[in-house]
Parts: sequence; C-alpha cells; structure tokens
Amino acid sequence: MNLSDEQVLAMAPDDASRKSGKDLANPAKWVSKGVGDNALWGECQGSGSKPYQTQIDTGNMAFKCSCPSRKFPCKHGLGLLLQYSRQPDSFAATTPPAWVSEWLAKRAEREEKKVAAAGAPEKQVDTAAQAKRQQARQQKVADGAAELLRWIKDLVRNGIMDLPEKDAAFFENMERRMVDAQAGGLAGMMRELADISYFHEGWQTVFMNQLLRIYLVIQGYQHIDQLPFLLQQDIRSLIGFTQSQEELKEQTGITDTWRVLGKQTTEEDRLTVERYWLYGIHTRRRALILQFFVRGQSTIAQPLTPGSTIQAELVYFPSAAPLRAIIKQQMTIPPDHTFSGFSGWDEVVASQTATAAVLPVYNDQVYTIATLTPVWHQEQWWLQDSRQQLMPVKKGFPHIWKLLAFSGGAPLHMAVTGREMQYEPIGVWHEHEYKIL
Amino acid sequence: MERWNQIINTALLGTAKKQADAQGLQGPLQAAAATILGNAGTDREEQFLQLAAVVYNYRQSGIQPVTTTVPPLPVCPAETKAYCPPAAIRALQPVLETDSIQLLQLWLEHCTQRHFILPPAQLPVMLDKAWRNKSLRALTAAAGGYRAEWLGQFNPDWNFSRVAETLEERWENGATAQRVEALQELRATDPVMALTWLQQSWAKESATVKAELLAVLEQPPQESDLEWLESLLTEKSKTVKEIVVRLLKKLPGSSIHELYWQVLAGAVQPQWDGHIVVALPELTDERIFQSGIEKLSNSKSVADETHILYQLISAVHPARWETHFGRTPAEVIRLFLQYETLQPFVPALVQAITWFEAKEWATTFMEHSETFYIDILPMLPTTQQQQLSEHHFVEHPEAIIKYAGQNPAEWSVALCTRILRYAASQPYTYNQLYMNNVIRQIPVAIAATLDNIVPTESYHVGYWNNIKVHLGKLIQAKSLLPGCFNQ
Repeated sequence: MNLSDEQVLAMAPDDASRKSGKDLANPAKWVSKGVGDNALWGECQGSGSKPYQTQIDTGNMAFKCSCPSRKFPCKHGLGLLLQYSRQPDSFAATTPPAWVSEWLAKRAEREEKKVAAAGAPEKQVDTAAQAKRQQARQQKVADGAAELLRWIKDLVRNGIMDLPEKDAAFFENMERRMVDAQAGGLAGMMRELADISYFHEGWQTVFMNQLLRIYLVIQGYQHIDQLPFLLQQDIRSLIGFTQSQEELKEQTGITDTWRVLGKQTTEEDRLTVERYWLYGIHTRRRALILQFFVRGQSTIAQPLTPGSTIQAELVYFPSAAPLRAIIKQQMTIPPDHTFSGFSGWDEVVASQTATAAVLPVYNDQVYTIATLTPVWHQEQWWLQDSRQQLMPVKKGFPHIWKLLAFSGGAPLHMAVTGREMQYEPIGVWHEHEYKIL
Repeated sequence: MERWNQIINTALLGTAKKQADAQGLQGPLQAAAATILGNAGTDREEQFLQLAAVVYNYRQSGIQPVTTTVPPLPVCPAETKAYCPPAAIRALQPVLETDSIQLLQLWLEHCTQRHFILPPAQLPVMLDKAWRNKSLRALTAAAGGYRAEWLGQFNPDWNFSRVAETLEERWENGATAQRVEALQELRATDPVMALTWLQQSWAKESATVKAELLAVLEQPPQESDLEWLESLLTEKSKTVKEIVVRLLKKLPGSSIHELYWQVLAGAVQPQWDGHIVVALPELTDERIFQSGIEKLSNSKSVADETHILYQLISAVHPARWETHFGRTPAEVIRLFLQYETLQPFVPALVQAITWFEAKEWATTFMEHSETFYIDILPMLPTTQQQQLSEHHFVEHPEAIIKYAGQNPAEWSVALCTRILRYAASQPYTYNQLYMNNVIRQIPVAIAATLDNIVPTESYHVGYWNNIKVHLGKLIQAKSLLPGCFNQ
C-alpha cells in the first residue's frame, strides 16, 4: 500500500475531518502503532482515560475505531493512515494485537456469511400486500407528477422573467409536495432548480435546461409503458424509486481492473454525496459509484482511494446508458497507470449523442481523453485536442494552476467529467503516472 | 443557438403573451414542430414544453467542439535538475501544515542546496506561499525550475520566478528578490564589483527597487562605497535618502562621521597628568542636529551636554579612540571603565560597538567589563552568546529571547529549555506564531524533555499545552530534514 497525502485526505468525509486527521498524523499522539500483512493499527490518546483503538483493513480499505465519532472514516483513521503514508518506517511490522485480529477475523466471517446467505433460500414474501403497497405508491407519485406538471405549465404560461425576484419558498413548497408524493427524485430536481444563481448571466438557459429535464421525466413517467424496459428503469430511478442493492448484488457483475479516476463531493442540505468516477482498464467501461452520508450518521461505506487501482466486480444499475454501479467485491492492487480512452473531442461528443439517443436526461459523464492541451482563448481556459478541437474548462475550476503545472504547455492524457460544453479535469497522466488534481 | 434563443424568449414572456411557433426551425425540427403545433388536443403550454424539449434534445445531441485556431501556449523547457525524492515531498506536507515560513525556508534551502527542484504538483501551493511571503521568493524561484517561471507568465502574482543559473544571469534577468540575493552573494565575495553592478543599473531602477538594492550594502558598508553614497544625498526619494544617510553613518570615513568625530575629539581631552577632561565645546555646525542628534535631554538627571556627547560617542567608530588616546582597544575600554568622566559613556561605547558591528571590540569589551551589557550580545561569537544568554537569562529574559531569535544558529538544549520555560509562563506572547518563527533555532533534541516544561500558573496550562502540541509538530517536521532529501 503506497498512498499519497492527497489520496488519504480525499477519503475524508468533510473538511473538519481532513484538518483533524492532519493534526493526528503526529507520532506524539499515538501510544502504540503497528502494521501487519493486511492491517494497520494504532492506539491514540484522546481526551478519555483509555486510548482509542483505531484499525484499518488495508486489503479492502475498511476502518474501525473505538472513538464515539459517527463520521466515516473518523479523524483517527485518517490520521493513522496519513502518518503511515508519510513515515511507513515508523510502524513496526508485527503480528496484530488481539483487538485487531479479532476484528479482521469477524470481517472475514461476515464475508463468508454473506456468501452463504446468498446461497440460502429466500424468505416467503407476501406478494399481494407488496403489490398493494406498490400500487398505492405509484398512485401517489402519479398524482405528484401531475401536480408538478400543472405548476410547470403555470410557470410557462406566466413567463419566467420575474423568477429572480421570487423567494426560496416558491420552489421549496413544490419540493416539499414532491417529498410528500414519495417522488424523492423529482424533489431533488426541484432543489437543483432552486439552487440556480438567478443573478448570474445566462441563468435563463440553466433554468430551462433543468425545467425541461423535469418535464421529460414527468412525461416519461406518464407514458412509461410505451418506453423500452431499460429507459423505464432510468425514469423510475429519476422519479425516486430505489433499486434494491441486495438484488443488484445477486447479479453477475463486470470484473475488471478499475482505476478510481477521482472523487467529487457535494453537500445537499444535510446530505453529503460522494461521486467516485471509475474506468475499467480492460473493458474500457466507465462507472459512477455514489455514496451518501447524512451528517452525524455513520454509514457502512466502501471508501475508495482516488488515484488507486482496484480489482473489482461492479454491477451496474439497470439503465439505457449504464453508468451508476455498485461494487460487489473489491481488492486493492498495485497501481496500473496504462492510459486508454478517446482520442479527441469528436469521439466524446459522438459518445454523448449516442447516450442522449437512448437516455435524453443523462447526467455528467466521465471521459479519458488523449493529448489535451490547456489553452487560453476568449478570456477563459479551454482544452484543445490533437485535432485542434476545443472544449471549455468549467468556470471557477479550482485546480487550473495544478493542471497547468503538470502540462507546462504540453499535451497530457486527461480524465474529465462533464457534458455538452462544460468539462472539469479530475486527473492527468504525467510522466506515465496517473495523478489526481 | 438561434433556435434555442427563440425558446428562451418565449419562456421569458410566457405562452400567455407569446405562443410557441416554428420560426427559425428547419429540417427535422420543422417537421417535429409541425406535428406538435398541429395537435389540437394539447394546450399552448404543453405545445411549448414539447417543442422546447425537442430543441433541447436536438441541441445536446448535436454538440460540437469549437474548431478554431488558437495560438498554443509556449511550451515550458525541459528541466535540467532532478525532482525532489518522494520522501522530501512527504516531509513537505507537514511543513506546509504548520504554516511556519521559517520551516518552509529551511526545507527550500535543503532542496536548493542539493540541486533538486519541486515536482509540478507542488508548484501552485509553493508559488502562492512565496507570493504571500517575500522571504521565500528567491528560494522558491531556485526550487521552482523552468516550470515555475513558465507559470509566472500566466499568473502575475507568481512573476517573481526566473530560472537563472549564474550570478550575472540572476542580476540581469531575475525578479527583484533574485537580484537582491545575487547582489548579496557578490557583495560577500567581491564588494567592489557589487558596487559597480549597482552603479551601472542605478539610473534604470525604480525608487522601491533602489531601496531594496541599497539595503544590501548595509551588511556591512565598505569604505569603497563612500564616494558614491555621498553623491546619492541628492536623491529625490525620501526612503532612498534615509537609507543613504543610515549607510553613511555606518562608514567611519563619511562626512557626517567626520563631523561627529571633530566635535568629540575636541570634547574628550587627555591631560598631561593622565586625567581625561570631558567638556562639550560650543556647537555651531547645525548639520550635527539636522542629522538626528537631539539637542535636549529627555531626562532631568542627564544634562543636555552629556546627552549630546552620549549620542555622538554611540555614533562614532570605537577605533577612533585608539588613535585619539594612542592606546590599544583593551586600554581604551579600561579608560572608559575607570575614569569617572568617561564612565557615563560606557553604554554609548557599547552602542557604537554594536552600530559598527566591531566584533573584536565586543570580545575585548566582554573580557574587561564586569557589567553585562545585553546589547553587545549579538556581536559575540555564537558559543559565547549562548553561554552568556544562559548565564544572564534571569536578568534580561526578553532581550535574550529577542537576540536569540535573530541569530540563525541553533540554540543549545540548555538555552532552549530556559527560553521555553519562560515562554510557558508567557504563553500569550510566545504563542504558536512565535514558535513558527524560531523553529530554525529550536533543536530537535528538545522533544525528549518538552513534557517537563510546564507553566508556573495553572491557568496557563491549557493554552501552553496547545502551543506544545504545535511545537511538537514543528519539531517532528524539522526532524525529517535534511535526511528526507537523501535518495
């Protein structure tokens, strides 16, 4: 395991944990520490009488700590891993103490149980009651969607000119109505509508793009029986129907060597959303792993290390243009820095056209593109491919100087996220190594 | 775009005022619009939304990259030096986290001494640090390689970094910080050539740069600078002129120094019987007072005459007394210490020793004086400084801490312990920021005994503990240097 500071810190759930983690990457804070074949552990003196016992399963990158924090990983886990990444020699290689080996054994046992449970016969389900519940929900959602459509039509009839003067309640009321109608996806899309900055030039296009996406989803739902099966799944998911991850995990996934191209974190109300972008080195498939954290609530998560390579089996959510996936099983392996991807922007837009053809309401995608050069044109940064085609870098992109420092005016293979006319680089291949930005 | 703008216009006005139409639509869009608008079963809003959704999809499915000729950025030349080893980069992170400019300086010094450069990923952070802290600029430029200079072309804040290998290159093409450093280096080996460089470029420099470059001559000023400096008394800039006057006051051959000495030579007269008479003659030359000598004493116990003499003695090189009395420095010092008429001026002599940085005089003075004058401390050899600081710490804690912080040499563990004990009793003054500024002097070995240092007052314990944790981090980061640069 050879992680950089950036990779470790990228695992932190928030800035506060990042800062505290850095503070704890200090040997003086640790009463004891050690490293084994698949584990890293340490005892950190906190405010209590007994030190906290922190342990990390380095094989599958899992954390456990006896501290009361509900963040995941906690600051102790981050501090310990950070310290190991900085000074691996300061960790004595020994056999793990009982509290570590017991945890590792339990983890192994749980994995076995899971495998066994997968083979066990399923419980009896009351299908009649289930169908009744589903029908009731569908009715609620249908009513909600119809209400939202009426609201959209009213808006369109009166014009959107005076939207900047509306207060937040204008959108929030409808968002709440969608929550009541059990259409969480539509509520989320309404929230995005409310989050638009109505004082920035060009808000009209941003607003209409989002409004039409909502309209298309509603139309899709109202005519769901006429849609192809996979698009139906997309529409259901956009409306807010969840897909059982357990059911997904029962399916055979795609096994490949996946590069974790990067991680993007956004905060929505009290919910932290982590987007991990993956690229299958052999299958050349792209994947998005989503993880959600409610603030102050621990979550069983599989932290992925941006920039690392994993051997994993991924199962995609059913979709006309599969992107979101879950990890069925994974194992960290030595980094593989081979590049493969598109040769230029024309291939990227062709891919988007193909996606839009089957899924008109698609979201940001991830692309690996060869030999892109940052250039300055019309008062903004662009990425130019080898065929002199340009696409703009997203305004306010925070890592532009790091990107330029890597480039030095020369072309680089890049991983970018985005769609249409807005892209954000998340990593580059520099001197034959993949580096996250 | 035209089509999409039509949609936006209709949306802005509302379908109540402007109905959706097929204006500007062609080809497949026109056919779709005809179907949508021809459907009598749908209302105006539905028709608009359907048409807008079609145009939205048409737009997103047909996105094309911009194809235009954009002049490429100049390509950065390949680096000629090797990047720092990974261990050094790992050691840099904790250094950055402490926010200690001194520690960062130390890291950069080791980096440049070993002829390494920073990898690209670290450049933006380091250039930003150097932009905020002038003292880091020359070092960052040296460690930044060609890529830092290249980045400076696009970010004006970072335009202080130029790659220059030789002294001449740095002087000719460097940014101000690099030029100052080049002049300093040349001044140390060839002061006459350094002066020639400065004279040659003088007319082209701005007042701010003149002030920065002139300050280089201060350590220490040379007799050879005299003539040129005297000619600069007519400079327009007030700041430049002030520096020139200060430099001239430090040169025993300057006109102002001569003027002071003429007064003193007349005022302090050895008699035939060995006694020394001290009496200020009438001062007619107003230049003396214009140069900053105060006429009136600000203390009732000190006569105006004594006050003037005191100021003049502290502004005249002590070597002048050697020729005046025809004695060795040791004998001159003894005269000052023994004769009642000269005794009040001993502190002035100490000030003169420090003002002219007369180190030999300082050592001789310490050999003969029973009184410890704290101001003489920085003039003494480092080992003696530390011994005396330790010995006299209780009498002058604050002054000793100040001088110890100014000397770049690492403190002995004993002195460091004393300083930190005092700091623990004054944690609001000697806080984390103070530790950041003296980490160069703090020995790593102090870590072992850091826990034994506790404040005398219990209410300081919490605050001191925070400082101690921070200090622990600084020491930990420092302990990795310079070993982390070994490949």
